[in-house]
Amino acid sequence: MTKDAVQGAAEEADQAQSKKGLKKQQKEAEKAAKKAEKQAKLAADTQSTDEDDFAKDRYGVPQMVQSQQKLDRVLVRVQKLTPEKADQLIWVRARVHTSRAKGKQCFLVLRQQQFNVQALVAVGERASKQMVKFAANINKESIVDVEAMVRKVEQKIESCTQQDVELHIERIFVISQAEPRLPLQLEDCVRPDGEGDEDGRATVNQDTRLDNRVIDLRTTTSQAIFRLQSGVCQLFRDTLTNKGFVEIQTPKIISAASEGGANVFTVSYFKTSAYLAQSPQLYKQMCICADFDKVFCVGPVFRAEDSNTHRHLTEFVGLDIELAFNYHYHEVIESITDTMVQIFKGLRDKFQTEIQTVGKQYPSEPFRFLEPTLRLEYTEGVAMLREAGVDMGDEEDLSTPNEKLLGRLVKEKYDTDFYVLDKYPLAVRPFYTMPDPNDKKYSNSYDMFMRGEEILSGAQRIHDAQLLTERAIHHNIAYFYYVTNTLVAGKIKSYIDSFRYGAPPHGGGGIGLERVCMLYLGLHNVRQVSMFPRDPKRLTP
Amino acid sequence: MSLKELSSLEKALGLKKPNKYSTQGDRKVPVLQSINGPALVGLVTIATHLVQEAKQPELLGGSAEHKAVVQQWLEYRVTKVDGCHKEDIKTILKDLNSYLEDKVYLAGNQFTLADTLMYYGIHHVIVDLAVQEKEKYMNMTRWFDHVQHYPGVRHHLPPVVVLRNRVYTSGHH
Repeated sequence: MTKDAVQGAAEEADQAQSKKGLKKQQKEAEKAAKKAEKQAKLAADTQSTDEDDFAKDRYGVPQMVQSQQKLDRVLVRVQKLTPEKADQLIWVRARVHTSRAKGKQCFLVLRQQQFNVQALVAVGERASKQMVKFAANINKESIVDVEAMVRKVEQKIESCTQQDVELHIERIFVISQAEPRLPLQLEDCVRPDGEGDEDGRATVNQDTRLDNRVIDLRTTTSQAIFRLQSGVCQLFRDTLTNKGFVEIQTPKIISAASEGGANVFTVSYFKTSAYLAQSPQLYKQMCICADFDKVFCVGPVFRAEDSNTHRHLTEFVGLDIELAFNYHYHEVIESITDTMVQIFKGLRDKFQTEIQTVGKQYPSEPFRFLEPTLRLEYTEGVAMLREAGVDMGDEEDLSTPNEKLLGRLVKEKYDTDFYVLDKYPLAVRPFYTMPDPNDKKYSNSYDMFMRGEEILSGAQRIHDAQLLTERAIHHNIAYFYYVTNTLVAGKIKSYIDSFRYGAPPHGGGGIGLERVCMLYLGLHNVRQVSMFPRDPKRLTP
Repeated sequence: MSLKELSSLEKALGLKKPNKYSTQGDRKVPVLQSINGPALVGLVTIATHLVQEAKQPELLGGSAEHKAVVQQWLEYRVTKVDGCHKEDIKTILKDLNSYLEDKVYLAGNQFTLADTLMYYGIHHVIVDLAVQEKEKYMNMTRWFDHVQHYPGVRHHLPPVVVLRNRVYTSGHH
């Protein structure tokens, strides 16, 4: 390059540099200006916060409720917020489900168990800018006390249960704050499974729900499920009490495994061991022998079965029935099926809200049943299965897939989701089952099914000590020692003894509360219907 | 397996004199040694020969297009269905099911050799299907039930039960 060129290049470089420099300076100036503006605004804001907050005492976080005072204030239930209450000023305590600021307004959804309602705080005579900001920043799930005017809305609010009204908030106080980060989002919890995948929005998997059960139980679906479960218990008790049954309580810490030694929990009992009861079977029967005639009990049942399936829990609630009958064990079947039908009717008539709520997240066919209840014999069931191409023996027990298929066949033929299968083969029933009087291969025992899954196993029990002993030996349960001409039947001696001093003919059965609820609602996992489920992998919460 | 099929086919076609077959190779390809000609090797080849012997050429198709479709399914039977892996079975059933949605038989509205050989070929799969699966592949099951009841076809194979009514509604898990 020539000297001139070099010079020119240098000059250009200088010019470029100064251009660059100018640009840089300009940018810095802009930045500084912006910063100053922001700071000024902040100062102005805080000034206005202190000066212009005319609504200061209409919102905030009051002192923790430590029973300081007795307020004579009526809190209205969200369920009752209907157009009837329009233009009334009322107080509500509910959870903040969502809160969303939009300019000079803040929209909230307030939730109370299965019900929710839209509420809004708007800058105006009653609410200041700061109050609206406060409302928008309340953490989800916080519990708030709200004084508001109930207003009718022209367009139905589809996303809430209370569709015809909204609350115009005048006062809002946070009674109990929730932490800002929730372990799971309630909206995700109630999202139907299919929807989540399609829109890319999350659904929550079962383990996460169960780990954070307290929050999961707040969802509308959970609230509905457990209200219905409470209803089942109540209907069970009421129906049986009306039939003259007596409720009994049976011990859960027992000395011998009642259903066989394999699936029982052992506990240390002072210097020895004891077991957690697998069923109240033995005690129900002893009550019958003690002349209580008709008994039922509601209590926990413990099964140490290492099954990780959709329908097994290690601890569940058993609803057990036992009654003495006159001449034929079908009297027992009729009593039990009638009880079940009364429960189904009660749920259908008094729990429709709950059934519909659950159906929003878990849609299913409504539960169908016949009156009187359908009763098929085991041999008929086997014939139906064989007709459908299943290969099974006469005395073979029903496998779970075959039970389900039979349920579908029965549903298709008789249009019922609930039926009884009577006269099971003796070989597959427990030792205390009364054999059929005419055919040695069969027994006076029955199972009941809902939507093709077993919910009850029952039978006429052997009430004769001699026969009971024979059957126990046959099943290798009793060990015999001849002591002073008396048969001493090992571990189950006290059980067999109950029948030696006059025992009436009797029978009964037991159902699992969780399974009944699960199948009635058409759900697919028993853990959804157990508040704090126990299975081989879960001991908390 | 192929030998049993061929003897059943002979009976189905009404051929009075049963032939003597042998096999060759690990895959037991059937061979028919004829007295005055070259040996016929392969299931489809021999089956085609038997059809012509029985003077029922309509079983191989009418028009040129029809004939081609029959050949296509005969080839499908021998290449895709025979010796297929467990994972491929679902694909085959899906294929057949969607194909048969608007056709009575494999080659349209006429019963052909393709139907017979396909029936023999997938019987061992269908016989083990659960009721729910059979309902899932509704069209294929309908075709299968039709062919197994076609006069003279079944012979050496046990009948597969197909329920007349749907037991699993669409919403069922």
